[in-house]
Amino acid sequence: MRTISKWARAFFFTEIIVGLVTTFKHLAVKPITRQYPHQKPDLPDGYRGVIVQLRYDDMTEKCVGCALCEAACPSHCITVVSGEDPDLPQRRIAKQYVLDVTKCVFCGFCVQACPVDALASSKEYEMATWNKRDLIMDKEAMLKLGDRYFPNRSPRPHPYLEQRLALFQKLKVAEFPKSGVAS
Amino acid sequence: MDLTLKLVLIVVQIAAVMGVVLLHVAYLTYMERKILGHMQDRLGPMEVGPHGLLQPIADGLKLFFKEDIIPTGADKFLFTAAPILVLVPALIGFAVVPFGRDSISLFGMTINPFITDINIGILYILAFSSLGAYGVLLGGWASNSKYSLLGGLRSAAQVISYELPLGMALVGPILLSESLSMVKMTTAQGGGAWHWFVFVQPVAFVIYVICAVAETNRLPFDLPEAESELVAGFFTEYSGMRFAFFFLAEYANMILVSCIATAAFLGGWQAPLPILEFIPPIIWFLAKVYAILFFFIWIRGTLPRLRFDQLMGFCWKIMIPLALANILITSVIAYFVHARG
Repeated sequence: MRTISKWARAFFFTEIIVGLVTTFKHLAVKPITRQYPHQKPDLPDGYRGVIVQLRYDDMTEKCVGCALCEAACPSHCITVVSGEDPDLPQRRIAKQYVLDVTKCVFCGFCVQACPVDALASSKEYEMATWNKRDLIMDKEAMLKLGDRYFPNRSPRPHPYLEQRLALFQKLKVAEFPKSGVAS
Repeated sequence: MDLTLKLVLIVVQIAAVMGVVLLHVAYLTYMERKILGHMQDRLGPMEVGPHGLLQPIADGLKLFFKEDIIPTGADKFLFTAAPILVLVPALIGFAVVPFGRDSISLFGMTINPFITDINIGILYILAFSSLGAYGVLLGGWASNSKYSLLGGLRSAAQVISYELPLGMALVGPILLSESLSMVKMTTAQGGGAWHWFVFVQPVAFVIYVICAVAETNRLPFDLPEAESELVAGFFTEYSGMRFAFFFLAEYANMILVSCIATAAFLGGWQAPLPILEFIPPIIWFLAKVYAILFFFIWIRGTLPRLRFDQLMGFCWKIMIPLALANILITSVIAYFVHARG
């Protein structure tokens, strides 16, 4: 009896018909693929894209040029040249800040290392370019990307008092030594 | 004068049929990619034109402008001749396919819905389709590549083996319609779906469809191409227009075997019910051809490739004995019915 049913199953292509029904049912299934350039994926909140720099709400940059990010970076893609802002009293900034995206491994250690939260991982991932040098970002490029991805800026925690700024301006004009000129 | 007009008319008719067939071939590739895509929960081509409708044109242009490479060590003459040897038999078979019922009168001439009605129509198609195997074999040999040679040999073995049950399956309709002409075969099935030979000869129909899939080298019988083991089989070394010729030939062959199945088993242009005869016969013909083409694509989306010994064993141990038994039984019954009536 079993042989007969087995033979009948083979003769009437039962298993092939089962397969055909399965594939036919899938004609009605909604496609699970995404038409990528037209349909962008929703990235999760913890997504680590290109590293960007942030500003305070008075549009001054957060970075103080401490170079802790450079120390934390495992792939040595960050270079910081520290310096002083000539227009503000006792304000240290990064005179130069270079992020080599071609080397970056997107680990986010720099973001964690930053003491003033000046760095953040953006959701930028479409970095394809014809010129590799476009991927070596300076401070301005990073700030521009940061403006795009983080439009809500935090307030500056310790703003300068008016008196101090005024004093600084007075002292700067009157008493700062000028190079090459004997006082 | 009359002769010239007749000649021009014939040439125009041939050109029209060829053009229409090539158009259907182009959009058959689109249909295949779309259906396979949706069966695999994808969308298929979507970029060129709305829903990718211009994709076949883009593909054709791309192939046309590609570099034409002849590998060193290849036999130049045979390498060039092989694609033509494959494409011509695939297109030439359409000469005897009856597409519709009514002849049109034009300039005092009648244009038939077929190019010619020769009294050995089926034999003519079978003869030319076996010529196509030469193109595949020579193309594989002339490429001077191991993959091409293996693909060509497999194709030759497969096509020649499956031609036998294919021809034998068609003997059933030939016996019942008492003619080798495709036109007479179609008219013999008139008067409702129950007269179609698919219901009188179900075994022959199943054998024919299986052999047709094998003859056109499609999945699950695509051992001559076998992307995963032979790269692309016999056309591994072909590029540009020569590759396009092989490609066109494969799809033209698909349409041709579907046309034969329609004419020999599914009643050709006949409507399934006499009430439905207000729909033009050509629509019925196209609907049936496309139903079979859909089945081919459906099978491709469902079944994996056979092993070579399974393929050969299935043909020689099952298909040929079944086809022979079918011929025997059909002819005995046909003889007694004929003797009584």
